[in-house]
Amino acid sequence: MESHSEKQKHHHHHILPVRTTLLIGGTLMFLTFVTVWIAGVDLGRLNFVVAMAVATTKAALVALFFMNLYYDRKENGVIFGTSFVFLAIFFVLTSMDLFFRGKVVVDPKLMEAPQAGSKLKKPWISTPELVAKGKELFSVQCVSCHGVEGQGNGPAAAALNPPPRNFHTDQGWKNGRKVSMIFKTLKEGLPPSAMASYASLPPDDRWALTHYVIALGPTPAPTDTPDDFKRAGVDTTQESGGSEAVVATVPVDFALERVEVAANDAEKSAHLYDPSQAQWVSRGVPQSRGAQIYAESCVQCHNTKAQGGIKILRGTVIVPALTAQSEGMRSQEAFNRWVIQGIPGNLMPGFGQYSSSDLRDLYRTIQTMNAGR
Amino acid sequence: MSNGETALQHHHAHHFASADDEFEASKQGMWIFLVTEVLMFGGLFVAYGILRGLYPEMVHEAHKLLAVKMGAINTVVLISSSITMALAVSSTQKGQRSRAIMYLVTTILLASCFLVVKYFEYSAKFHHGLLPGAHFTNGELKDSKSPLFFSLYFMMTGLHMIHVLLGMGVIGWILRRTIRREFGPNFYTPVELVGFYWHFVDLVWIYLFPLLYLVG
Repeated sequence: MESHSEKQKHHHHHILPVRTTLLIGGTLMFLTFVTVWIAGVDLGRLNFVVAMAVATTKAALVALFFMNLYYDRKENGVIFGTSFVFLAIFFVLTSMDLFFRGKVVVDPKLMEAPQAGSKLKKPWISTPELVAKGKELFSVQCVSCHGVEGQGNGPAAAALNPPPRNFHTDQGWKNGRKVSMIFKTLKEGLPPSAMASYASLPPDDRWALTHYVIALGPTPAPTDTPDDFKRAGVDTTQESGGSEAVVATVPVDFALERVEVAANDAEKSAHLYDPSQAQWVSRGVPQSRGAQIYAESCVQCHNTKAQGGIKILRGTVIVPALTAQSEGMRSQEAFNRWVIQGIPGNLMPGFGQYSSSDLRDLYRTIQTMNAGR
Repeated sequence: MSNGETALQHHHAHHFASADDEFEASKQGMWIFLVTEVLMFGGLFVAYGILRGLYPEMVHEAHKLLAVKMGAINTVVLISSSITMALAVSSTQKGQRSRAIMYLVTTILLASCFLVVKYFEYSAKFHHGLLPGAHFTNGELKDSKSPLFFSLYFMMTGLHMIHVLLGMGVIGWILRRTIRREFGPNFYTPVELVGFYWHFVDLVWIYLFPLLYLVG
């Protein structure tokens, strides 16, 4: 008993010998050198694994010897170790969504229009034609939130926080009121607000909208610097604004990085996709109104597939499948609310431009697409 | 005091059965505190993992702007300070007061070195417009998400730097009490526990350095 308690005592009050201290210290230095050296060698994914293995070895040496855990009562080691167990649970649960989703395949069809590039010359200079075209587009794309007059009071505006921009004032523009910055906003959207990216529109349309929006304001737009254009991805040395201006296609530009483009099918490019028939039809063949609306406003996010579409933009945004179980598909009323108002704080924009018969038709089309699955 | 180096007699608090009990309880309290530290830094490490998973190319591009050499120098500096801290603890345990003082002073000096290197590192980052959020003015990085990486860089290294500063403060306090002959083989709890804290600061850096500077 006596000797046991003596040993215990010795256990708790272990004095780390100078020799051991220096040996551990030297090992830590050596491992630091090793990790810097290995990071310079390209091992692909293995680099990360090696760096973490070395760091963990170093951390273990520090904890076991400098922090005495090796000689200490086991419970202290258990206490400290438990924190890492909880950290691991935290990390794994948080990253589930990120690391365990598959790749997404986007139909090349979706990429087509925007990649056509700008056919205009120097589209960043306003012309009466562009403003007129912008006005037309505005009444389709923007009124649901920004209102018919562009005062930020469209039918969906009440549900949005922050409220949509009033274009009749030159105050409070998040990206600024320059031509380049409005063009950039249209391309990228303004996350996390409900302002979605309109990169799915061809660049010419976005230029037209830009000039219309500026024409609504009380003052001319401030002058752009070359740097502004650069930030907006516009190359002013090329008449069309360069290819950078048209890079983004799917509504969320960063989603693109994770999207695989299926091989282009030459035959398909001469065809339009008719979701209600679940097949490609020749251009010119009349489609139902619902199918037209779907192709016009929904397909960019909700997929061309007959099943109504799941498109998972890996790790960033999930555009849900429009199944019969979706909240917005439960009834015509719920559907109308979703389509007209969008989902505030989400990437689903409101589409206020459709009549109730349009919405009925669209609702039916999507139901047909579901049935086809 | 026969050798002039031993500590004053330490009287343990009345609710402990013995000085040993008191020491063990204090130490366990320190470990529990360190658990909360792990979880605080842990949140940032998880954020780092997610950021890296979401935007691997962005993180890779952005991490190249960090100064590996300075990071490596600071790693060596911190490990050295951990060694001197460990030596300060064992010297106190053995009653070698003047050695303990020397090691504690060295530890504080090494911590200052760390801060000087950090100062140069941070000023370079400020100069290149890599400040977080709205103050990000760097035009070289192509990815529009790059400010996220630097926000996280400043959060992680900044929180760590605050720990270094606090560590210097408590080591200074230990140094003062050592000079006043308050510690010795009979009582060295604060010295050892401050040592734990300092090694923990080192331990965090051991992960920060490769994650941020090396394998971004």
